[in-house]
Amino acid sequence: MGASDRFERLREQASGETTGSSAPRLLGAVTLAVSILLISPILWLFVHGAGMEPGRIVELVVSETATEVTLNTLVLVAGVTVASLFIGVPLAILTVQTDLPFKRFWTVTSALPLVVPSYIGAFAFVSAFGPRGELADLLAPLGIEQLPTIYGLHGTVLVLTLFTYPYVFLTTRASLLSFDGTVVEAARTLNHTRWEAFKRVTFPQIAPGIAAGALLVALYALSDFGTPAIMRYDVFTRMIYNEQQARNVDAAAVLSMLLLVMAMGILLVESRINASRDGAYVSGGDRRPGEIRLGYWKLPATLFCAAIASLCLVLPVGILTQWLVRSGTRPPGGFSFGISHVANSVGLAAAAAGICLVVALPVAYLSARGTGPLSSLPERLSYIGYAVPGVVIGLALIYLGLQFVPFLYQSVVVLVFAYVVRFLPQAVGATESSILQVDPSYIEAARSLGYAPLSAFRQVVLPLVAPGIAAGAALVFLTTMKELPATLMLRPTGFETIVTYIWLVRGAAYQGQAAVPALILVGVSGLSMLVILRQEGN
Amino acid sequence: MTDTSDDSRSSTPSRRRFVTAGGAAMVTALAGCSSILGNGDDDSVSGSISLADFRGSGPLVSQRESPGGTSIEDLPDLDGELTLYLGGGEGGLYLDLIDLFEQKYDNFTANHRLEPSSDLANAIIQESEADATQADVFMAVDAGSLGAVANAGATAPLPDEALSSVRDSFQDGQGRWVGIAGRARAVPYNTDRLSASDMPSTVQEFPETGALQGAMGWAPTYGAFQSFITAMRLIRGDDETRAWLEAMLDHGVTEYDNEFRVSNSVADGELAAGFANHYYSLRVRSARESAPLELAFTEGDAGALVNVSGVEIVDGTDNADLAANFVRHVLSAEAQEFFATRTFAYPMIPGVAPVGGLPRIDELNPPDIDLTELADVDGTVDLLREAGVL
Repeated sequence: MGASDRFERLREQASGETTGSSAPRLLGAVTLAVSILLISPILWLFVHGAGMEPGRIVELVVSETATEVTLNTLVLVAGVTVASLFIGVPLAILTVQTDLPFKRFWTVTSALPLVVPSYIGAFAFVSAFGPRGELADLLAPLGIEQLPTIYGLHGTVLVLTLFTYPYVFLTTRASLLSFDGTVVEAARTLNHTRWEAFKRVTFPQIAPGIAAGALLVALYALSDFGTPAIMRYDVFTRMIYNEQQARNVDAAAVLSMLLLVMAMGILLVESRINASRDGAYVSGGDRRPGEIRLGYWKLPATLFCAAIASLCLVLPVGILTQWLVRSGTRPPGGFSFGISHVANSVGLAAAAAGICLVVALPVAYLSARGTGPLSSLPERLSYIGYAVPGVVIGLALIYLGLQFVPFLYQSVVVLVFAYVVRFLPQAVGATESSILQVDPSYIEAARSLGYAPLSAFRQVVLPLVAPGIAAGAALVFLTTMKELPATLMLRPTGFETIVTYIWLVRGAAYQGQAAVPALILVGVSGLSMLVILRQEGN
Repeated sequence: MTDTSDDSRSSTPSRRRFVTAGGAAMVTALAGCSSILGNGDDDSVSGSISLADFRGSGPLVSQRESPGGTSIEDLPDLDGELTLYLGGGEGGLYLDLIDLFEQKYDNFTANHRLEPSSDLANAIIQESEADATQADVFMAVDAGSLGAVANAGATAPLPDEALSSVRDSFQDGQGRWVGIAGRARAVPYNTDRLSASDMPSTVQEFPETGALQGAMGWAPTYGAFQSFITAMRLIRGDDETRAWLEAMLDHGVTEYDNEFRVSNSVADGELAAGFANHYYSLRVRSARESAPLELAFTEGDAGALVNVSGVEIVDGTDNADLAANFVRHVLSAEAQEFFATRTFAYPMIPGVAPVGGLPRIDELNPPDIDLTELADVDGTVDLLREAGVL
């Protein structure tokens, strides 16, 4: 794979007799080259677009399909984002600031839905509430003939909300935890009611945290492929996939560009908010504000937490378990799930995590410690991948592969490359934050003791940042395990993973067969929560 | 009530034939010799694979004569690694056949990619243009996709033995693809709610039939249904087809995910009748012998379409001999018995009979259209959208 080859070269050169001053420059140049390679799929998209007739592009952009899908997508993103706020923020406040019983327990259950891949959630919901689903079977004897359909917009919003609101919950929770209670007390002494104190003091302080979570939710809703596909709601990802499968390259490319523009818009808002947060006044007190006593709200509040946990955790796991019990021993129609699916998933995820770990290090180091104006460019570039939905990466790599490297078409190399493009930012983020915590004077000290820059880095910095890097790699591993659209589009023929198997049996309406792989996936994803919670503890 | 067996076949082939169930009534024309074959047990996966493994089990399959045609025992062993693009694959049933071949031949593996037929056809065409073909063999559940690949010049010649064993109407005019299993459009109906005489003999009459008002089901997202509508467009034109779809909607028709569910709902009595491929009703009957379910067939119109699954060799394969041998295996007596008894499809070679009670394929009255022309699915989907069906 190109990126790692270049990195190898970089390491050879670096460990050779390079002088102190040219090493960072070389590192910068190579890192920049790697970053450019990483955004090549997106560049291809625009190159392809530039090669199209302008009239054709306009025709596609203003076509009924495109406008309808744009509207559908915007409504979905807005719906999921708003609904997530209504669940995530109250849960965060309840678990941080009130005397809710079993707070620790509800904290865990509120964060945990994040580990259920949303398409598995969608699966379970269709099975529970769909036509001829479990609920329909339960209600049939009561004479209820027809349930309102779960398919379409409301079903998609429901499922995506239930499995993405933890982003809002976690970011809001983090800002509540780091928030100085003394200012609230001050407001209270000025005769503000609790509500006024919240409105005028608490809310402005935690708003950036809420917004950061909301934007993550928005980005997720925008780029999710599995849920709208299962819920039969026409959004960009589903349409791009269908157009690509039908080999309508132009339509797929134009839709992808529209989707990218929307994703960039969301990212732009996010960077604005982050920037404003950097400048925000953060008082350093760590005194927690007094607990809000729920009084007779205690029961409804507990019921609210329980209801969300039931819908997000008990229901999907219950449905999957039920499938497991019901499905016969022998899979129907040649769909047999085996250890090879698991091995393929793990192998891909390990490769992606390993490469991200290696590539993230110089990118993050330059961004954290670089001095030149371009030093943070690679990091900025790598973040673009974060906003690029899997279907778009898949689409671009299929055509890039066919055009330029036909011998790599449908190879594991291209698939792993896609994962690296998408998930590198997670590794860069985790690595960079741990590098920032290392005092630069350590390196100075090592250099003054005669160490070469690279060995100073190896001897001094690396041991200190290792936990952060490991956490980043673990995140990449777990998100790769779950990744659906790019895996579906780019996998070699005959190479099936846990995820492609789940998709295959779903397509053949043998969803009972998906129970075991889905449970495995949920179990493995559960580990990601450990990573996140450990980070929270740091 | 059950129809009696074959003696009741008059010299003029009856338009409708009961899908009978139960041992005695199932006897086919040449039956009489009781089968010495065991039913293929699913757990006997080891050692030698024989006809019994290919043959299905259950009430529809008992007492069949041995299949005629070329046995796999007379074919060279499959040897090597084959890349197979599998379009549709009948919910994984075709994978069972591939699995049997892999079990029979130690040195044979088939890497497969299972996606909708039209998608894989497009992929093959594109890969072929870029000189990066992956597949050795393309096996698909609809002739339109096979035709699209053939028309793009992305196929390699098929072995003569394969082409000579299948009727001309079920293979490409230039021998670029060949049918391996047939599927007839049919109208499953519930015998508690309707009798055979209630069933119209043309599709056009359905929206005008009072007995069917608000009591029919279809699966418009399903490929076979879309082929049926494509056939209607070819025969009667877009305007009439749109009018028919709208008339059906006005008449009241329930949408389902797939035609197995349609057939199941007919058996449950939720629906009086539905549009579905013939074998779904056989699957229902195989599981529930006493289901009040029968099949009606229309005549000479889109509703009587017989479409085929077929197979072709992809141009640029570096596995031509293995691919050709694989095609011959799919048309062997054992594989055809598999399609007949496990997928309840119409076999393509004369030596193998369809499962009991089905009208023989030459008794059906399909419309006279070139199956390759069924490739225009996009136009059909647009039409279904315009009519408000999708």
